[in-house]
Amino acid sequence: MISPSLVLQNTIDGVFLGLFYSLVAMGLALIFGVMDIINFAHGDLLMLAAYFVWLTSADLSVDPTVTALLLVPLFFLIGLSIHYSMIQPVLGKEPLIQIAVTVGLGLILQNIALAIFKAEPKAVAYSLFSFSYSIGPITLYASKLFIAVVSIVTLYVLNLFLNRTFLGLAMKSTADNREVAQLMGINAKRLYALTFGLGTALIALSASLWMTFGQVQPYLGTSFSLISWVIVAMGGLGGVTGVLYSGIIVGLAESLGSLFLTPSARMAVVYIVFFLVLWFRPRGLFGRR
Amino acid sequence: MSSELSLANVTAGYGEFVILHSVSLEVPQKKITALVGPNGAGKTTTLKTIMGMTRLREGNILFEGEDITKLPTYRRVELGISLIPEGRGLFPSLTVRENLVIGAYTKKAREKIHESMEIAFSIFPKLKQRLEQKAGTLSGGEAQMLAIARGLMSRPKVLLLDEPSQGLAPVVVMELFQAIKKLNDELGITVLLVEQHVKESLELAEMAYVMEQGSIVMKGRGSELLADPSLKKAYLVY
Repeated sequence: MISPSLVLQNTIDGVFLGLFYSLVAMGLALIFGVMDIINFAHGDLLMLAAYFVWLTSADLSVDPTVTALLLVPLFFLIGLSIHYSMIQPVLGKEPLIQIAVTVGLGLILQNIALAIFKAEPKAVAYSLFSFSYSIGPITLYASKLFIAVVSIVTLYVLNLFLNRTFLGLAMKSTADNREVAQLMGINAKRLYALTFGLGTALIALSASLWMTFGQVQPYLGTSFSLISWVIVAMGGLGGVTGVLYSGIIVGLAESLGSLFLTPSARMAVVYIVFFLVLWFRPRGLFGRR
Repeated sequence: MSSELSLANVTAGYGEFVILHSVSLEVPQKKITALVGPNGAGKTTTLKTIMGMTRLREGNILFEGEDITKLPTYRRVELGISLIPEGRGLFPSLTVRENLVIGAYTKKAREKIHESMEIAFSIFPKLKQRLEQKAGTLSGGEAQMLAIARGLMSRPKVLLLDEPSQGLAPVVVMELFQAIKKLNDELGITVLLVEQHVKESLELAEMAYVMEQGSIVMKGRGSELLADPSLKKAYLVY
């Protein structure tokens, strides 16, 4: 029997998961919005970052969350190098060429991971947040709560950045109208590089959070890529708020779907919700016109 | 009359397409210059070429005596040229205030942002009541005023206006032309105006150029062209 407290438990878990998914998708949304390119290697970069988290937290004996301090700046630089070596040359080219480049990057990362780490999943042995609280019939896992809080704080700060700084406004304007943004004196080349760096840095943060409770294996990226595309397609045009709402929708669909149907059908529920949203709002929840 | 901006034998277009054929044009300092001609004559392409947004094949562009032919668009904005694009080109998801702020993106403009806002409001006082509204919700007239105000935020020496009267009611067009005159008179900004309202533009302009099929076919003082019988026949009948 499905009890009301179980529904409440899954709703809370779903919202927490959704907030984390929003953070995962944010980098993709930012890069897509500003640069008009879909980064098919998005999830694979998360997988790469997750291995970095696994390695550094084991070697330095630190909590996965602490590795973010090292990995976020490192992945900003990795993002810049990927941008200058692979992305910049194909900007404005036919979509097929862009797809080939980012899909290719994703495959390379997968194969490198497979060669070095083999297929078996790796997890961090311990985490600061492995305890939980019980409030009546509800259990709050500290790790999930922590991840949700870090995700929403990060998205809040990112939103402030996009609305209150010249660089952030430059990104928003470029997403609105690429050609006219240049007329404001915005150096588009530099802005694209910074956007790709920032998007990649956000991936590293997500990976640190993921490793507090999750595992990493070479194909981890695929599921994160799929979830991110769904979130961006549903709410990407609505900026940070759009990504936040559709992230929560996806988290709830997954969590309640596994409760009411079966855990193995949870992704099917996510996609059914996705199709329903696009059926009624073809331009996404926040699409214009 | 010293010219602030000039094109010398400029041939330009997009990709494989050549639209401008050896265009030469002088924009005198602190004056209004009009560029008129039928649709598809290459007026918009001329303005975009000045901003470095087309493929320039031959010729040179000089600004304040300096060759800017090879500079990227943002550098030209930094030097003091501002284009108000056709169709306004506002950022619809940004508020009116944010549109103005991003207009002051260049380093020099940022320092003067508060002063620039006051200047923009002195010419377009209506914008002050709309600051927190999304730019996408403005009426046509307000949107055009915001587009020009945003262009002023970079503190340009030369303002390029691409069909600012497009889609506006006649009363609003009058207001707009007065505002253009005002920013030229009071702020001393050089203006290059591309317009379909040929008569009003020539009345406003010191110098004028007529463009057809990618070439300049006639030039002279605004008042002279206004009196020219062949031009009258071609453009001023309506």
